[in-house]
Amino acid sequence: MNPVISVRDLTKTYHVGEHQVNALRSISLDVSPGEFVAVIGPSGSGKSTLMHILGCLDQPTSGQYFLDGRDVSHLSDDDISLVRNKQIGFVFQGFNLLARTSALENVELPLLYGTGNISTSERKKRAMAALAAVGLESRADHHTNQLSGGQQQRVAIARALLNNPSILLADEPTGNLDSKTSIEVMEIFQSLQRERGITIVLITHEMDVAEYGSRIVSFKDGNIVSDVPNQNRRHASGELEASPVPLEGVV
Amino acid sequence: MALSNSYIIALKALRRNKLQTALTMLGMTIGVATVLTMIALGSGAQKAIQDQVKAAGMNMLIVTAGNYQAQRERPPDDAIEMGAIRNPEEEIRPHLQMAIFHPEDDPFAIHDHPTARQRLGDSEAGLGAAATLTIDDANAIRQIKGVQYACEGIHENVHVTAGDIRWFTRVHGDDSSLPEIRRSWKFVHGSFFSARQQKKNEQVVVLGSVASEKIFGTASPIGKTVLLWKQPFKVVGVVTSSNWMVTPEAGDDQFDAVYIPVTTMQSLLNLSKLNDITVTTESTGDVTRVSKSIVSLLRTRHGIGANTPDDFTVASQASKALTKGGLRPDVATAVTGNVAGLEKVTLDQLGKTLDKSSKTMTALLASIATVSLIVGGIGIMNIMMLSVTERTREIGIRRAVGARAKEVLLQFIFESVTLSVAGGLLGIAIGVIAAMTISHAVQWSTSISPLAILLSFGVSAAVGIFFGYYPAREASRVAPLTSLRFE
Repeated sequence: MNPVISVRDLTKTYHVGEHQVNALRSISLDVSPGEFVAVIGPSGSGKSTLMHILGCLDQPTSGQYFLDGRDVSHLSDDDISLVRNKQIGFVFQGFNLLARTSALENVELPLLYGTGNISTSERKKRAMAALAAVGLESRADHHTNQLSGGQQQRVAIARALLNNPSILLADEPTGNLDSKTSIEVMEIFQSLQRERGITIVLITHEMDVAEYGSRIVSFKDGNIVSDVPNQNRRHASGELEASPVPLEGVV
Repeated sequence: MALSNSYIIALKALRRNKLQTALTMLGMTIGVATVLTMIALGSGAQKAIQDQVKAAGMNMLIVTAGNYQAQRERPPDDAIEMGAIRNPEEEIRPHLQMAIFHPEDDPFAIHDHPTARQRLGDSEAGLGAAATLTIDDANAIRQIKGVQYACEGIHENVHVTAGDIRWFTRVHGDDSSLPEIRRSWKFVHGSFFSARQQKKNEQVVVLGSVASEKIFGTASPIGKTVLLWKQPFKVVGVVTSSNWMVTPEAGDDQFDAVYIPVTTMQSLLNLSKLNDITVTTESTGDVTRVSKSIVSLLRTRHGIGANTPDDFTVASQASKALTKGGLRPDVATAVTGNVAGLEKVTLDQLGKTLDKSSKTMTALLASIATVSLIVGGIGIMNIMMLSVTERTREIGIRRAVGARAKEVLLQFIFESVTLSVAGGLLGIAIGVIAAMTISHAVQWSTSISPLAILLSFGVSAAVGIFFGYYPAREASRVAPLTSLRFE
């Protein structure tokens, strides 16, 4: 099967004052459809830089990045915006939802951009469906500040999934959440992979979060130090069942 | 990408930032309201000045029947020099066409008492008595280019009777357009008689405020009946002066008087003549040209040959004022006779002064308007700039989910245009209300032209685009990654 993500000799160099920082030193990586890759590494290891390049938020200094077989490493701003809109879903540590805006309007945001004219009712229908998929249809009219951290992250996941992207990129998605809520969010990721075959790349610096992935890639100083299938995979659904506290609204 | 989507996004963003939206709109609102109020008040002031000039009669010509001075030799052009002034009395010879010869009118006779001519000024004596002007003459004058109104006039003395009260006063048979000429008139009760009433020779009367008070006291006389020449006339209006310089007094010609349609007066008194025709011109600078046109028109209509003097007199209010206002009649005659087209000089000068003052006024208004709009526009730019910095994160989120740079640009432009147009519309409403309130409070006519409204609307939209573009471009240039990292 052709890989969804194929990275060849990717480097990224920053200039901070007179210093030159090599964030990525010739990385090569393939991700197959349906994989749940956890990228782990300490701060400054280059994992976030990789994530930004994979998410087309940043462009590499050199090397190539094929997304669905297309080289997207040196596209124009307009084209790369479309790639972000159609093929990539983001989940951030800080949720990055629009303030003073309802959950529904946050979720339908990607449909307001990009090509094609989608009617208001169609937009609403698709956004509602995405909210239902993360168990938040009852909170559609709530503003983001009326939602808990876990609920906000689920809204962000719904938004990321709206255009049926090729990959879902999650940058420290549990960094701002308590452990119980983190398990809930990981359970959503695992069920998305399991039931909808969505390719997920998760960035984290915590090994116990990375263990939810099917494959673990370790970073250090801009290099991949290990890339192995996860033998002791954690299963969030099982952990939730074992939890003594009853949980609300989880898929 | 659909434009409508960008607009929806902009509207949602504005709704989200209510305080910022309200503050920016306020700036624009105040700017546009100021502009509109200033323009309304300014053009009102301009109009008021013009009205006052017209009320002073600077655009007025009076055509009087008869020409007492027809046989008088005009003083030569150098007559203004001292010593060269002659006694015009010596040069006047009786007019052959004069109907009745009065012993007092014999210029060769030496009198031991002031003659009628000396008492009244020679421009007054005998004028208006000749039966040379008709309503048809007035209609012909109305066709002259530059003539605004022409109003026939017959003037008599009359007893006005209501019940036991009789009041001896002036009666004027006039055209229904007279109030348009008498700019300093205002109606205490009712209004002037209509053109329709005039056409049907109706017996309706408008009372001067003094006459009304003498006959009816302070009560409104509208609908009551008075007798003129033992004929019943229905009172339709009471007129008084709106000019603080003119106070109605017993014995004056305007307000101790009654007005009836000229047609009614002619048919009741079995007259066909007019005493005079009062003509106003559309512009004050046009008086001399119109006056010449009237002379040649009437000469043609009356069949006057080249060597025969006019059987009418055309005088401008200016030259009339000159002969009346303090100058000895003979000196005044010498001056007006000497400086050919004196009224042209004064009126031209006045017209030019008026033009200059109205240009100054317009320039003042334009500068105030410009400053207000620039202030409003910079307000919009400030808030939009601030909001770009404040909303860097929002821009980053939008870019991350796939917004293109031009979509962000459009969003921000739409926001600022919406703000300025909505603010502008609100400003127009407030400006109209303010202008109306002020005009009510200071008794000053304001005029809000649709053009002024259209202009302020267009300018507010343009300000939105112009001052909104720079912040919008800054917003669209924010790199998606920096904006997401921005805290």
